[in-house]
Amino acid sequence: MIRKVLIANRGEIALRVLRACRTLGLEAVVAYSEADRESLPVQLADEAICIGPADAKRSYLSASAVISAAVVTGCDAIHPGYGFLSEDEGFADVVRAHDLTFVGPPPEVLDRFASKEATRRLLATHGLATIPGSAGLLEDDGHALAEAERIGYPVLIKPSAGGGGKGMRMVRSPRELESAIRICRSEAKAAFGDDSLYLERWLEDNRHIEVQVAVDRYGNGVHLGERDCSIQRRHQKILEEAPSPALSDDARLELCERAIRAVVAAGYENVGTLEFLVDRDGNPYFIEINCRIQVEHPVTEMLTGVDLVATQLRIAGGEPLGFSQSDVVLRGHAIELRINAEDAEHEFRPASGVVERYLAPGGPGVRMDSHLYPGYEVPPFYDSLLGKLIVWGRDRDAAVARARAALDELLVEGIVTNVPIHRALLSSEPFLEGRMTTNLLDRMGSAAFLAAAGRT
Amino acid sequence: MTKPAGDRPPKIDGEAGAGSPTDVDVIAHLTDEIVPALAAKLAATGLGELEVRQGTWKVRVRRPDGEGGRPTRRAGDRPSRAQPGHAGHGHAPAAVEGHRGGRPAPAYSGNGSQPPELTPVGPGPGTDRAARPDPLDVDPHRGVATSPAVGVFQPGTTARAGTRVRAGDRLGVVDMLGVPQEIVSPVDGIVGATLVEAGDAVEYGQELIVVELAQRPDHVG
Repeated sequence: MIRKVLIANRGEIALRVLRACRTLGLEAVVAYSEADRESLPVQLADEAICIGPADAKRSYLSASAVISAAVVTGCDAIHPGYGFLSEDEGFADVVRAHDLTFVGPPPEVLDRFASKEATRRLLATHGLATIPGSAGLLEDDGHALAEAERIGYPVLIKPSAGGGGKGMRMVRSPRELESAIRICRSEAKAAFGDDSLYLERWLEDNRHIEVQVAVDRYGNGVHLGERDCSIQRRHQKILEEAPSPALSDDARLELCERAIRAVVAAGYENVGTLEFLVDRDGNPYFIEINCRIQVEHPVTEMLTGVDLVATQLRIAGGEPLGFSQSDVVLRGHAIELRINAEDAEHEFRPASGVVERYLAPGGPGVRMDSHLYPGYEVPPFYDSLLGKLIVWGRDRDAAVARARAALDELLVEGIVTNVPIHRALLSSEPFLEGRMTTNLLDRMGSAAFLAAAGRT
Repeated sequence: MTKPAGDRPPKIDGEAGAGSPTDVDVIAHLTDEIVPALAAKLAATGLGELEVRQGTWKVRVRRPDGEGGRPTRRAGDRPSRAQPGHAGHGHAPAAVEGHRGGRPAPAYSGNGSQPPELTPVGPGPGTDRAARPDPLDVDPHRGVATSPAVGVFQPGTTARAGTRVRAGDRLGVVDMLGVPQEIVSPVDGIVGATLVEAGDAVEYGQELIVVELAQRPDHVG
């Protein structure tokens, strides 16, 4: 059983975990960097502890600072949120060595799923189709060229560790491949400390669809439906929704059932997400599993009523899941808009500064997960997510209508946000017709997209 | 709830590097992009001064005089609600350790464009937030050694009141998971009060040991 949790993250997800702890009656300590001293999770926490300077390497990414904070505050568990140390199996190991519970999969499970390439092979043996790709990691340029030739151009270069689009490049010719590999290796090395790469066939006009699963340590597993995260800019998700407008009910059920069968068979534990690319013909290909809570988890919470963060904590504490597949009902339609401190008019340049005025939207089916408050100073050191506006409606049209109304109500002054791109999306034909693919925004260019949507 | 650090606009020094041609584009880039970014960063970091070099150009952004440079606690800090801290939040080591072997520049983690490389070149100021009276804020004749890490406080023999120390002398350690992290004196002076009990849990930046300045300068900052 978990009694007291150290929250080793910041921003909206620290707040989200704090709320889950309170719901479960757990004590919580918010660990923060000096740059986050005035942040909302720190102010709302019963207990908070400064673990280091603004530089994440010496605070949120420092395993020893985080674990030391947990030890001296008498915590028995650490919730890593997303990003930072959340998928670091080495960190999970050290957490356990200090008799603390890592809120996520146990270290040996994280270890099994740490390499994307090995995970693809593992889950392929359990019935998931994967994108044709290189056999193993790329050794040298000669090997890469030969593998790319075999797979067929265009190919996508991907890092074996990490995610979020870093170290990733699509190339259309052997000439591009050599220089792109060099760039990807250095990006991957810098971002994840590991420069191993592999290749995949590039699927033109694909959709990104992911399946949410939860598995307890006794092997009880359920899926909680899928999310469509096809609206991206440079591999960064902007808007997510469920159910996917691209899947029929039969296709959805088959995808979700295959996913949960495969991960239970492969010995997964805790909350996780299987990501798939779906090609133009509707074929899903498994690409990777995220062994953590995801930014877009509220979409699923709106649809199912299941508190995913509380579920993580309960499973990590050794509790059985407590519900079965037949208890999971996917109701209506949910959309999440990521509100980022980014200037959509200027190539999404990240912004920082003081939030002078802030008003969260409300009403039925509207949820705002955000750490903003009037007077809050957004520090320049971390990612640009200011919050997530999530709406629910009886069907997709109702959800879109609520999203528009809520977006009109949202007030953030003093700092530039990407709200214009959301307005544009919510009135654009490709979105309204459910035709968005992962490359659409990049292909059109965001400026052109904003302009086109402005005309309609 | 909080105010941005520094209501007055920061002072800007722009100086051309030796023998460099005056380049309109470079100047435009510096004034339109670098300087606002630096000013924002300055406000966010609590540092007193930031400098960026690009090619032969260098821009330094500094807070208005009188706001920076003095070892102070941050006024308006709430007392820590963390169990370990009963002495209240310490100031960032920046306040007193700006000169201690170069603090690393703030690093970007996460998305997108890389910022210009920033070099903190001076100690940070206190902020002008609504002040809770605090003797440490108004007395320029003492420094306070702060915790370099989150862990358990273990004072050394030099931490005894009355001991004469030099800036950089070791006053004890904070044990972080068995790894000792050195607490150093920020100034030349005489050790005064220890604000935390030996064996107490402390957080990063927490004020630990007061050091009275050996020489009383007429002006600090």
